Amino acid sequence: MKFGIFYEISVPRPWDPEAERTVYERALEQVRLADELGFDQVWAVEHHFLEEYSHCSSPEIFLAACAVQTKKIRVGHGIVVCVPQINHPIRIAERTATLDIISGGRLEVGTGRSATWTELGGFGASPDDTKKTWDEIVRCLPKMWTQERFSYDGAAFKMPPRAILPKPYQKPHPPMWVAITSPGTEIDAADRGLGWLGLTFGGLEEQEQRMAEYRRRIKVCEPVGDFVNEQINSVNFLYCHEDDETGLNTGRRLQGTFGYMAAQLLSAREAYPTPSYPALGLLPQLRPDGDSPGDSVRVPDGLCIGNPARIIEAVKRWESVGADRINFLLNAMEVVPQEQVLASLRLFAKEVMPKFQEPTRRQAALTTGA
Amino acid sequence: MPFLGTLDTTPRLKDAPQLDNYDTEAWEIAGVEHLSVTFEIDDAAMTSALPPALHPTIPPVAYFSVTSYPESPVGAFKLAQVRVGCRAAALPRGFLLRAYSDSPAACEALGRRWGYDCRPADVQLRRYHDRIVGSVTLDGREVLQGSLLDPNPISGSSIFYVSNVNLARSPDDGKGVLVQVDPAYTFHRAERGSPELTAFDRPAWAADGIDPVWPVTATFVKCDTGFPQIRYVMDASQAARIGTRKLR
Repeated sequence: MKFGIFYEISVPRPWDPEAERTVYERALEQVRLADELGFDQVWAVEHHFLEEYSHCSSPEIFLAACAVQTKKIRVGHGIVVCVPQINHPIRIAERTATLDIISGGRLEVGTGRSATWTELGGFGASPDDTKKTWDEIVRCLPKMWTQERFSYDGAAFKMPPRAILPKPYQKPHPPMWVAITSPGTEIDAADRGLGWLGLTFGGLEEQEQRMAEYRRRIKVCEPVGDFVNEQINSVNFLYCHEDDETGLNTGRRLQGTFGYMAAQLLSAREAYPTPSYPALGLLPQLRPDGDSPGDSVRVPDGLCIGNPARIIEAVKRWESVGADRINFLLNAMEVVPQEQVLASLRLFAKEVMPKFQEPTRRQAALTTGA
Repeated sequence: MPFLGTLDTTPRLKDAPQLDNYDTEAWEIAGVEHLSVTFEIDDAAMTSALPPALHPTIPPVAYFSVTSYPESPVGAFKLAQVRVGCRAAALPRGFLLRAYSDSPAACEALGRRWGYDCRPADVQLRRYHDRIVGSVTLDGREVLQGSLLDPNPISGSSIFYVSNVNLARSPDDGKGVLVQVDPAYTFHRAERGSPELTAFDRPAWAADGIDPVWPVTATFVKCDTGFPQIRYVMDASQAARIGTRKLR
């Protein structure tokens, strides 16, 4: 089991001149600490126009800062929006290759297509087309990275032969992932030999079935890249505290705040009926179970909040259903003070992480005194 | 936290319907035809159009709809509505600004039972070869015309209609209360097309500041739906996550 951290960069109002900078600086401080503590990955979303919820519209720049301020932690574009009106595919290939070089070959490339009308409508992209353009782009990216010259004549874009530069530092190219929220997307990922980048909180039982199907199908996949990335990367909240009740209370506040903010988004399906979005994406799992506005936001199962013992049990459950990695959201709307976020990371690294290190890795760490 | 509405509901309450009680029986109606036209609206009204119980959507949107009910306990009627998209806590809803019906009996019943601020007018829902048009004419003046252009069939499973939140006077004390009207839909046919709004008289809809600025979509469905028993009401003056009362 590997552990990572995951950023939406939510910025609560009031937006004074320091508000966004403060959140970004805090995130970078968390990333530096996570790198020192042995976390394996840091991921950043790409969102546009999502007031307060996510001010992370240029994650490649944030991730470049992460890369130059750290030594080992891998940097994950989670996800780059594969919609031509938002990111031209050539620019995706160029930017990701540059980030891979800057990070010394530490890039992971998540792909997806956005799930909100707020974003798609803002860029004039039709929700009808995003699945098709995502499919075209994920098939083109590995070729853009590896072929000396690339040309293409498709529906999403066309281009004459050109050398797309630079090329990624990792050979043949960085690992590729797909954002998994809507049921069925895991099939799309498996059939293309792409890693599972889960953006669904909790729901262990349902996830177990979907993960099993993913594992089954990826064995017979036709990979879009030069290799198959058969990894399952789940997402979770993290608040670890010596006192279980304190950990649970703060963790629930974090989860509830994130869920409440996510539920405010205008999903693609809500605004624009289309078979391309058969589900409301991330939102239903975070909305209340019933129809009462007075109900609390749903608390998913398998959350990594509480004391170390409780979190160890939660991680074991995720491990048992098939997850290879867990990425943690550490804060939302800055409801957890920075010192508490850092303390939670330290405690997790001290008490929880060692329980899931591979024997050889743990032995190596012990012999070197790490 | 997200914005909350700033609408002072006091002036609206003078004209708001008085609920008889919270125990009205449900109306289940088959063969309903419903046209919905969605536009993004100018963000100047994103909070001023909503009471303090509700959050605006981002971007703010308005739903313009005309529905034909072929039967009901008060007979057949058509209902036109203008609603502002919102969130009641974490749930998607549409706040009713005003409604019109071609049936005075329906106006009265919908007001007394479910809190619709509904007034008599000529309401039409017509289908042409290349469009479906809903319109409202009040005192000889067209106050709404919304259309779905170039209808194309889609699956009803793609449709997501938000439930109503209607401002009414409480049967208990006459104070302002928001009534959640959350019908279920069984779709028999669904179509989608481009939205068009060629007439929208803001004063007629109590829609000051509502300026449709960007077309989103239009849908037309044939379905079974209706008006269910009221399950939740909200205090108009405080956030719905704390001001909601469960009735059943």
